[in-house]
Amino acid sequence: MIWVVWRQQRAQLITLLALLVVGGGVLVALGSSMVSYVDSHGLQVCLANGMETNSLCRKGVDDFQQAWFDRMKAGQLFITVLPVLVGMFCGAPLFARELEQGTHVLAFTQSVSRVRWMVSKFAVAALPALVVVLALQLLVEWWVGAAGAMGPLATGPFFYLTFDGSGTAPVAYTLFAFSLGMFVGAASRRTLVAMTVTLAAFAVVRIALFTVRRFLLPAQRVVSDDPTEPAAGRTSLVVHYGFLDAKGAQVPTSPNYNTNCGSTSATPTTTDYATCYRQHGLAKSFADVIPPDAAGTLHLVDSGIFVGLAVLLVLATGWAVRRQA
Amino acid sequence: MVDRQTPVRTDGLGKRYRRGWALRDCTLSIPPNRLVALVGPNGAGKSTLMGLVTGLTRPTAGAISVFGDAPGGGGLHPRVAFLAQQKPLYPQFTVAETLRLGQRTNPTWDQAYAEGLIQRAQVPMAAKVGTLSGGQRTRVALALALGKRPRLLLLDEPLADLDPLARETVLRSLVEESRAQGITVVLSSHVLTELAGVCDHLVLLVAGQVRLAGDVDDLLDKHVLLVGPPDGRPPVAASAVIDIDRTPGSQQVLAPSSLANGAPGWQPFRPTLGHLALGYMRNEAPEVAA
Repeated sequence: MIWVVWRQQRAQLITLLALLVVGGGVLVALGSSMVSYVDSHGLQVCLANGMETNSLCRKGVDDFQQAWFDRMKAGQLFITVLPVLVGMFCGAPLFARELEQGTHVLAFTQSVSRVRWMVSKFAVAALPALVVVLALQLLVEWWVGAAGAMGPLATGPFFYLTFDGSGTAPVAYTLFAFSLGMFVGAASRRTLVAMTVTLAAFAVVRIALFTVRRFLLPAQRVVSDDPTEPAAGRTSLVVHYGFLDAKGAQVPTSPNYNTNCGSTSATPTTTDYATCYRQHGLAKSFADVIPPDAAGTLHLVDSGIFVGLAVLLVLATGWAVRRQA
Repeated sequence: MVDRQTPVRTDGLGKRYRRGWALRDCTLSIPPNRLVALVGPNGAGKSTLMGLVTGLTRPTAGAISVFGDAPGGGGLHPRVAFLAQQKPLYPQFTVAETLRLGQRTNPTWDQAYAEGLIQRAQVPMAAKVGTLSGGQRTRVALALALGKRPRLLLLDEPLADLDPLARETVLRSLVEESRAQGITVVLSSHVLTELAGVCDHLVLLVAGQVRLAGDVDDLLDKHVLLVGPPDGRPPVAASAVIDIDRTPGSQQVLAPSSLANGAPGWQPFRPTLGHLALGYMRNEAPEVAA
């Protein structure tokens, strides 16, 4: 059975291999070219000692980012869109094309159960796609990692391109997109419908999960004694923020709570904002955050949801395949 | 007691699609070692009946058993092979790969036998299925179906897209194989003439219902074709007349032989399968207003 499915998927597997070779080659070339840029411009020192140490570093890092920052983001974007492409071009046609062309009758009339046929097709088509996604993801992570805080990693693990393109996320998203395409194809029996629905449904689910992502883990409260300073560092995922009064109680959010300290014509120009804030009852600033070191846990929860959805979709595909006309 | 010998047994079997009943109240039994002609006009329910036997289609009413088992969505009964009307094959596979598919998906596969069938059909093994002619494709599909060594072979309109010469060859090889291997073959067609010489069992479907089913010899014995003068009254009760075929010089009346009496001017003949099938099909057809 595996041979039959492999033979059927051969063209697609060769395409995936080509994607791996070409994509991987480009990533390795870009990455190593960037590493040699860092070396030749003496930016290793700046990376090691923190970037703002001297003006020489600042100029060097600026030039570096001018040349490389967008390229690295493009690499991360590539990994972010890869899952839905796999879902559309590998998952959606898997059963839809057979059902459309009537060749499923050939498969259904051999002495192999339909479920075994489905599982074999799923395994032979999905596993190589997952491996390719993982390999390309690791290459992009290596490349972006080499730029350290000079690159997108400066904004921490929760920057959306970084989060969606690292950890367990790409593989989990790919598995979900593939199962989604596979199910819609088996249920609709139309390749084009399956591809379109996969694109739309994948986008909806991803955006929905992205929106609620910061509520998936219990947040920690960080407090800054200076009310004018944001309590959260730029690498944390902020769930909620605001001010505390002198007793430590949360001040109800008001859209213009600090404009009184601004240089509006009604009030004289204030220089000591912190004092002014305190006079208005804003003693401290706080933020409820998910700290950067919880990124791994958040990945597991986020990926767990997508893998769970994928399992449901695989089971639903089994139902659709066993369904009789 | 489960009857594992009878290839197909149905009881009040029916299938309704959104547009209406495709098959209704179908009760029949296909005995072993027969070459069965499943005949009926287009849309009579032939493909639906085959779909129900293979489990590709789920019955709306009644029961069906294939070698004692109810066909389901799990997979085809290992003793049954089916060749659908479109003769689905993977066009990107070569002939050899198509046989390998059969080998990998059927525990009862007989590679030497299947290869022999391909060689006799003179189809090149290395050719891609997509490049073959209609006749060659049919031979490959047939080899795939026979290679699993079935006890029951279902062929849905196997000759439909073949030229007369290819029909001849395919049919002949089919008859030879089924006789030699003791396979029950069910062939569906809307053209009875091409099956008349070879089949020994008839199932006639009209408008989703079984009009006639039985061994051909039996059926022919039970009917008589009376040929008489064009204006004479047939020597049969009007209710017993199955069909009257009028020509300018004479009229032919098809009737059950048990209800037909001899009469002066009328000559009884043994009907052919063609007379029988056509007569019953016409009998069912709605009267056309003159």
